[in-house]
Amino acid sequence: MKLSYLAAGLAAATLASSAAYADKLDDIISSGTLRCAVVLDFPPMGSRDENNNPIGFDVDYCNDLAAALGVKAEIVETPFPERIPALMSGRVDVGVASTSDTLERAKTIGLSIPYYAFENSVTANEKSGITNWEGMKGKTVGATAGTYEAIWLEGKVKEWGTGEFRPYQTQADVFLALSQGQLDATVSTTEVANANVKSGKFAGIKIVDKAPMVPDYVALFTNRDEYGLLNYLNLFVNQQVRTGRYAELYKKWVGEGEPANLTIPGVYR
Amino acid sequence: MLNYKFHWNQALKALPDMLHGALVTLQIALIAMIVGILCAIVLTSFRRSGNKALSGIAATWVEIARNTPALFQIYMVHFGLGAFGIHLSPYLSLLVGIAFNNAGYLAENFRGALKAIPETQTRAARSLGMTSNQAFRLIVVPQMLRIAYPTITNQLVWSILMTSLGITVGMQTDLAGIAQKLNAISFRTFEFFALAAVIFYVMTKLVTFLAWLISRRMFRY
Repeated sequence: MKLSYLAAGLAAATLASSAAYADKLDDIISSGTLRCAVVLDFPPMGSRDENNNPIGFDVDYCNDLAAALGVKAEIVETPFPERIPALMSGRVDVGVASTSDTLERAKTIGLSIPYYAFENSVTANEKSGITNWEGMKGKTVGATAGTYEAIWLEGKVKEWGTGEFRPYQTQADVFLALSQGQLDATVSTTEVANANVKSGKFAGIKIVDKAPMVPDYVALFTNRDEYGLLNYLNLFVNQQVRTGRYAELYKKWVGEGEPANLTIPGVYR
Repeated sequence: MLNYKFHWNQALKALPDMLHGALVTLQIALIAMIVGILCAIVLTSFRRSGNKALSGIAATWVEIARNTPALFQIYMVHFGLGAFGIHLSPYLSLLVGIAFNNAGYLAENFRGALKAIPETQTRAARSLGMTSNQAFRLIVVPQMLRIAYPTITNQLVWSILMTSLGITVGMQTDLAGIAQKLNAISFRTFEFFALAAVIFYVMTKLVTFLAWLISRRMFRY
């Protein structure tokens, strides 16, 4: 009798401890599915094809990651402002969502090493007469709420002390407002600007200048305390570059040219 | 299994900004309410004018305002008018959108309130030598507003909550806009949104209480 209690207790303890030690990496592998938060109104990183299927650099990146883990990828569409709530509420495992690795955000989420770097361009409405980024001073400018470039641009408007900044919820709304003339100019990643100007959906806009910003390094993210998964993500990013897959995806989605260098000379990480 | 540690001090630091945003929210809601009431009175008089075109305009307004989402109405004011080259700032877009919605709902409420006012009131006013217009303006409308008062208060609360839709048209100085902006910078979503929710709650409770106090003073015989 006593022995069976002991056995039961031991068994329970073993179960409990193995449950406690299973981390997110184990959970993903055993569940057989990797759920990625991806922003799908952010071409060429994420968008939908004419059959409404998710496509883009970030979508492929998630698929690659799932393949490496030996699981099925599930793309969960999340607008920019909802990336973190999606992670915190357990709807996704990992964010492959062009997320800038700011120190402020790293207090909340765990960020991998950069997997991509964006340069930013100024796109203006042709009627605004803006020819370079300094021309934005005093004008009505906008960007997608919560993005790296929006935070930068709003800071600039404050610094200039004139003009107005407007954040919109999606990249599509920003370009719609720009094309209607509600905005005089926007700052967006060069990739996005090119894709939108080329799409022909937004009349009367053109790219006029580069924005003088530090390149926007973007990272994969997951919960802050998931070291096992974060380690895995770091190695995965490294492997993508090493195997040439990064260059391949760049060519497929962004175009000819060199993908941005993901390391900064003189520092670790 | 919420894997999240709250950083309340970070949210509390933003409290002054948020309270300032709450004032902007209140301002928009109040102005939109006043404009909404005025428009609703005009719509109500359109409806009872007997003129087909005027009552048609009023009916269309009411139908759209009551049967499409407020989010859509505000979006249309900003981007819909924008397509025709009419550019309203986020603040104005939000204000016009909410006022439009208010007017539509209140016009229906006023119509109901009017039914409760006996026809004899108008006849008595006319017999005192008032014109039809004067009778409506001076005798009927004040009584109508009194009957509709509780629904006006409800609509005001709804207006305050509707301001949060301003984020879709680039509004960022009101309470929801500020909460959203702070969230974007630091990703402390839960703290900022919880704080904003508490402020919204307190604000609507206060407004309801004030409206009750005012009604006690105003409607004493």
